[in-house]
Amino acid sequence: MMTNKNKGTVILRKVGLYTALIIGVLLSMFPFYWMFIGATNPSGEIFSIPPNLLPGDHLVENFRNLNDNVNIIRVMINSIVIALTFTFFSVMIASAAGYAFAKYSFKGRDAIFFTLLLAIMIPYHVTLIPLFQLMADLGWLNTYRAVLLPNLAYPFAIFLMRQNMRSIPTSLLEAARVDGAGEFKIFFRVVLPTMKPALAAVAIFLFMFQWNNFLWPLVVLGDSDMYTLPVALSSLVGMSRIDYGQIMMGTTLSTLPIMIFFLLLQRQFISGILGGSVKE
Amino acid sequence: MKIWKLTLASVASIGLLAACGGNDEGNNGGNNAGADANANANANAETEANDEGNNEAGNDSEGNNGEAADVSGEITVWGWNVAAASMEEAVEGFQEQYPDVDIVVEDIGREDLYDRLTVGFAAGGSGLPDITMIETDRLDNYFGEFPDGFVNLSEHGYDDHESKFPEAKAAAMKNADGDFLAAPWDIGPAGVFYNVPLFEEAGVNADDIETWDDFVEAGTTILDETGSQMVPIDISNDDALFRMMMNQLGTYYFDEDGNIDIHSDEAVQAMSVIQDLHAAGLVANTDGWDGTVTATVNNTVATVPFGVWYAGTITDQAPEQEGEWDVFKLPAFEEGGNRDANLGGSDLSVLSHTEHPEAAYAFVEYFTTETEPQMNALSEYGLFPSLVETYDDPYFEEEQEFFNNSPIWSLFADVAEGTLPANYTSDYARAFRYASDAQANVLLSETPPAEALEEAAGRIANETGRDQN
Repeated sequence: MMTNKNKGTVILRKVGLYTALIIGVLLSMFPFYWMFIGATNPSGEIFSIPPNLLPGDHLVENFRNLNDNVNIIRVMINSIVIALTFTFFSVMIASAAGYAFAKYSFKGRDAIFFTLLLAIMIPYHVTLIPLFQLMADLGWLNTYRAVLLPNLAYPFAIFLMRQNMRSIPTSLLEAARVDGAGEFKIFFRVVLPTMKPALAAVAIFLFMFQWNNFLWPLVVLGDSDMYTLPVALSSLVGMSRIDYGQIMMGTTLSTLPIMIFFLLLQRQFISGILGGSVKE
Repeated sequence: MKIWKLTLASVASIGLLAACGGNDEGNNGGNNAGADANANANANAETEANDEGNNEAGNDSEGNNGEAADVSGEITVWGWNVAAASMEEAVEGFQEQYPDVDIVVEDIGREDLYDRLTVGFAAGGSGLPDITMIETDRLDNYFGEFPDGFVNLSEHGYDDHESKFPEAKAAAMKNADGDFLAAPWDIGPAGVFYNVPLFEEAGVNADDIETWDDFVEAGTTILDETGSQMVPIDISNDDALFRMMMNQLGTYYFDEDGNIDIHSDEAVQAMSVIQDLHAAGLVANTDGWDGTVTATVNNTVATVPFGVWYAGTITDQAPEQEGEWDVFKLPAFEEGGNRDANLGGSDLSVLSHTEHPEAAYAFVEYFTTETEPQMNALSEYGLFPSLVETYDDPYFEEEQEFFNNSPIWSLFADVAEGTLPANYTSDYARAFRYASDAQANVLLSETPPAEALEEAAGRIANETGRDQN
């Protein structure tokens, strides 16, 4: 009897839980679905009431229109190259710097770290024009470098890595040293492998930052063949004539890579988030 | 093993980074010297080589084509959306006259264009194009902030074309010294777009609406009969209707001397009409541009008073409503009063760091003063020309199927020619914000129009240091 009753409660609880989860999934999936619907319908359809919730037959046409306006393949490649290169290098820099801040003691360490934290607080717009002038003087306008370099040492990522690195037991590092490992070997073979979840979390964060980065690429990439996705999509919005089908097509394409990137790293990402809360 | 992989990966990525950079090294090769050299940052290696060829070898020796042959160079033009497309299409005709000038049109979103323009000006001209499009109501702002940023078109002889444009439009192109810093392109004569089936269902005849009082009365009937409201207004963010009405009455945020005039009797009269509309339940409070479009195509509102450019929006977003729209002129404030006003429009400016001012001017002159590119921009993209001689084109008399077979272009041409000037000033954007606030105060907090506009005038004075009338 008891077990039956327990079973009943368990089932009930599960039904409740799953219903709530399904509702949550539907709510969060709907904008994506709507975007997809928009991408397959002609522009005006998006305004119809009641809203049209079925895919239309304009997928190919919207893509063709989009491709007429922006060189979408080239733009995708720009975005992917910029985001991946940026992610790789800034993760390396952030983890090396974070490691140094967490595990080495040297003169002025805290002062430098504090300065770094202050840098997070400088509003982006203050540096925009001087930085742009610098890029112009260097002759770097319209290059990937101009987008990549200014943010490569990303203070917040360094901060995150430093916090995570602090949990590495110093005794582990000492043991490696005693075994005769050099500092680089320790960093690459002992520190980084234990930091995988944190690295993945920071990588996703940096990838998303660069993928969605808008104002800076807009300003330094003048040539439409150098555009990144957000800049190219924004160029589709004119004054009174907006082709929503085209824009939805573009947004759909621009969310795909980030979904793939997230799915690949999601296990690490989740444990990276939990990493801060659970200490083993 | 693992270290190997990592090193390999880093080397590969560095190589990639270097390769991407490497491409551009060639472009900017000799350009690192100064800011204005970077004007060419947009050019790619090939075309730059062409340029040099043209400059140095080509023309000096040939020179057989008269004036045009002396002009050469690669010109970059910024514009947005359909405007960029219409300039693109004009290149061919232009090159028949100026074969040595290459035109590269870059299609940039409207807000993005202004962001890049402002940053480029602030950085001393880096990365700017040779020619850019700027909306008429923003010109004074740029003229005021960056007076050295523009080529004086009058020095190139643009004054000769002044009489080809409506007075109000030409006046807005000039700086305080009366020099043309921009060339007039499209214009936004205002009209009331109305939904024909809704008017018919309510038994209202659009021809009978001559004054704003008639408009309110017709709106009340339509609301009773069909449930549709009369006008969409994004109450706290946009005061388009207020501006059109002020323009009708010959006033604007500022008077011709640049003094604050937003609290003039005429402005109060205009705001009172909007208050009446709202009090009668005829205003649909829409959210942003998309909200306005939604209200338009879904019968939420029976009319949309806007600039001529809205015709393109309706045809794009509601193709199935073909034949169901038509246009009448803005109602007057009293019988027989002025029904002409303007909302929007844009212009072309040559930026002063250009290396080929002659070539840039040649394109601007060709594009804005020849009928062919202007007619093409109208018929293909709905961009309404300010070049008055185009209005004689038979195209204007053609009946537009989408608009209930009415010759709407000739109606708008008529409005364009009768529109009174408006002094936008360099503080237009600030005044615009306070005017929208005032509108929200009147409609949402029921502040009397005179009081709300008086308050707006005070705030604008505080922020800009201008005198109030």
